[in-house]
Amino acid sequence: MVTLIGKGIVRGRGCGPALVTQMPINFAAAFAGITSIIPGKRAVMQDRHHEFFKKNLRDTVLVFPTCTGSTFSGMVLMQVMYDHEAPAAIIVQDADSLLISGAILADVWFNSGIPVVEYNLPDLFDKIHTGDTVEVSGDTGNIKIY
Amino acid sequence: MKLDPEQESMLNGEQGQTMSLAVRTLVEYGRAFSAQRLVPIKSAHLVGSFGALPYRAYYRILDQCINAGLKVKVLTTINPRPGHDLNLLNRIAFARQNYLEHKIKQLGVMLNYSCVCYDQDNIPAFGDRLAWAESSAVQFANSVLGARTNRNSMLIDLCSAITGVTPEFGYLLDENRRGKIMVKLKIKRMDPSALGFIIGRKVVNKVPVIEHYDFSRGDLKNMGGAMAAAGAIALFHVEGLTPEAPDMKTAFAGDSPESTITITQDDLQSIQAKQPDRAELVVFGCPHLTYQEALDLAVQFTGKRIKKSIWFCLTPEARVRFEKTDHYQKIRSIGIKVYSHCPLSALTVQLRRKKVLTPSGKLFYYLKGAEYATVRECIDVSGVA
Repeated sequence: MVTLIGKGIVRGRGCGPALVTQMPINFAAAFAGITSIIPGKRAVMQDRHHEFFKKNLRDTVLVFPTCTGSTFSGMVLMQVMYDHEAPAAIIVQDADSLLISGAILADVWFNSGIPVVEYNLPDLFDKIHTGDTVEVSGDTGNIKIY
Repeated sequence: MKLDPEQESMLNGEQGQTMSLAVRTLVEYGRAFSAQRLVPIKSAHLVGSFGALPYRAYYRILDQCINAGLKVKVLTTINPRPGHDLNLLNRIAFARQNYLEHKIKQLGVMLNYSCVCYDQDNIPAFGDRLAWAESSAVQFANSVLGARTNRNSMLIDLCSAITGVTPEFGYLLDENRRGKIMVKLKIKRMDPSALGFIIGRKVVNKVPVIEHYDFSRGDLKNMGGAMAAAGAIALFHVEGLTPEAPDMKTAFAGDSPESTITITQDDLQSIQAKQPDRAELVVFGCPHLTYQEALDLAVQFTGKRIKKSIWFCLTPEARVRFEKTDHYQKIRSIGIKVYSHCPLSALTVQLRRKKVLTPSGKLFYYLKGAEYATVRECIDVSGVA
């Protein structure tokens, strides 16, 4: 097991298989297609510009560099958390205002936020690989890779 | 974070539980970025203008705010309507539109339905602190007007509007507004939208400083919109043109750039449609066309016939003015459609995907199947001399 110490940004604990991309994610494009209204498919990536196109992000520990794109993102993220179809946790290299907003809105208004940890050292993508089982604590910032 | 007595009282619930949640949202949001305080804002701009069926969590928050009798505390404008009245499918997809508009009105928001609010209804001055959402408007306010706003998310915008404050971090602070990446241009035929798209991809979320080029106001708008869609850029400078970059030295605050990139004609070429002639629908106006842009564009079509469907999307206010002009009569008579809804939302909801061509880097990014071409090429493809 490897432990990384990041910065806990949004509280809570989450565990799941890692899904790792070095491409930034535009959540407004990701979760905004017609299929995003179908229960069970709300977290399926709809952004054709992204390598995760058509992949379901639900219950994964999503690892990516940062968010790009529209300021719809926070609401879209909040909604997918409200629907309990979000990733189990998020590890982000550079925490941005849209990602953080989504998780904070879901936490403050509906008590359904997911943990978010920022880890901004360059070894992030050497240490975590898609498929690894990862446990994340948004309270301590600890990332455990099994 | 240090709160003043008024903010403290809002947080403690002395002004109601909903107000407390709104302030707590901003406090947590600020804390994530080590903000030291909440500061007053001059205005807000909201993006929550689509009454789409699945946004249930949004409607719950709106209802809660209205039941608590909350109103916006500062001038607050709102993004374009979706194409909810365009056809049956759109009427279904945006079935909550009337409900939403009623709620937004109750909050005291100015119903301008524009993504270029800075052009008419909500014009910030240099140095004003704002809490805006809408990535393209944030970009324009910061870069072209020298006002100060973060890329606030939908609903963070609303929390700021009803509390009148925003956490002080990011682009509100001098140290985050200086340039980071030098952008050199090796371009023979300028195409601001494509340039914005490529810069967005390459620079992602830093502050680029672009070598001098005499961009028009419309160019800056369209370039910024593309940058903020393909990337997460909230502020750019253009040497000798935008207000915080009289020269390179000032733009970088005396530091040297973290890195330098060069954008070439080939880069711009890389996103151009291979066969633009196959387009069925050509869309202008994402972000919305201003009145002046619509006039300039209309002139290009005057005296021509068209062989494609063409949409001009203007702000509602600009559309009313535009409809009184001769140019409008002329382009209407050849079949150009003039709308004021958001073309992206309207075209996302359709049974058969039309082949869309657009000179908007932003619409090209978001709309599935859309292709990109320069304004010139879009005009050439749609019109027969």
